[in-house]
Amino acid sequence: MTVAPSIETDRLNLRPQRRADFEAYGEFYASERARLMGDPLDRTWSWYAFAADAGNWSLLGFGGLTIEDRASGTALGQVALNLPPHSPERELGWLVFAPAEGKGVAFEAARAMRDYAYATLGWTTCVSFISPDNVRSLALAQRLGAVYDPHAESIHEERVVFRHPAPKVRA
Amino acid sequence: MTAAPIIAASRLTLRPHVVSDFPAFAAFFATDAARFIGGPLPERRAWSGFAADAGSWALLGFGAWAVEVAATGEFVGQVGLTRPPHFPERELGWIVFPRFQRSGYGTEAARAARDYAFGTLGWTTVVSYIDRENTASLALARSLGAVEDDAAARWDVKDAVYRHTSPQVRE
Repeated sequence: MTVAPSIETDRLNLRPQRRADFEAYGEFYASERARLMGDPLDRTWSWYAFAADAGNWSLLGFGGLTIEDRASGTALGQVALNLPPHSPERELGWLVFAPAEGKGVAFEAARAMRDYAYATLGWTTCVSFISPDNVRSLALAQRLGAVYDPHAESIHEERVVFRHPAPKVRA
Repeated sequence: MTAAPIIAASRLTLRPHVVSDFPAFAAFFATDAARFIGGPLPERRAWSGFAADAGSWALLGFGAWAVEVAATGEFVGQVGLTRPPHFPERELGWIVFPRFQRSGYGTEAARAARDYAFGTLGWTTVVSYIDRENTASLALARSLGAVEDDAAARWDVKDAVYRHTSPQVRE
């Protein structure tokens, strides 16, 4: 039974989701910004999405972590490793609450989560499913070294697939 | 407690959900049999609900159990202690898949979960929100000694609220 880990980076602490995080997630999921990840969710379905990402750790052995600012303890967003049954392959996803945008938070968190997937979980590849309208996420995927994979199956017809570089072969 | 504890009832075992439970869960939610509890649902929504029930343990310290027949390992449904933010108070809920209904499994599993709530968690009361047309569930709540509470708040006006009270409070 896997329990969500905590992962520290330069500025951030990626830590297990907590009940108290939900208000910020719910606000995000209800907002127009969430339209780039699917339809905005009402409070009920926001909870199920939030709690599911926590539950994935026990079901799948990986899941979501809240991104927290190390200095202030403020919740800034989420990174998640995911593989729901309707997905063709393992995904690395991210979301950043509005006040934390534009500061490299998602980049730092997503890179650390990818390192965890490769080093700790032993993944050899992963993808990000991104709306072609989500300019910021497309740019972030590329900054992370992911490349558009036109041959990969997508989770949804309105998502393109970016494939992350394979882990470096360790000597 | 970040995952469901295993509980042995007389004929049943309550245990944490595993991914291989999901097809049966999704099949139930895909049909009209789930109409009283928010269904029918597409698979991706059913997954959110399923994984959220597991995640509830990590977030709230209580959640749902998969229910299986101890002798055969057959997966017959689930029982859960839940409190999504749209519920006015904590709920005891249950699902018995159609081919296992009329077996008394729902009553046995719900009693075991309620004993856990009153005993281990120290709750003094818990409610069950039940659609007024869901005669099987209404009968189950009454068989557990729950009493309709007209004054209780509810999130869905179609629901009756059945209140369970800890025997320690009743004494």
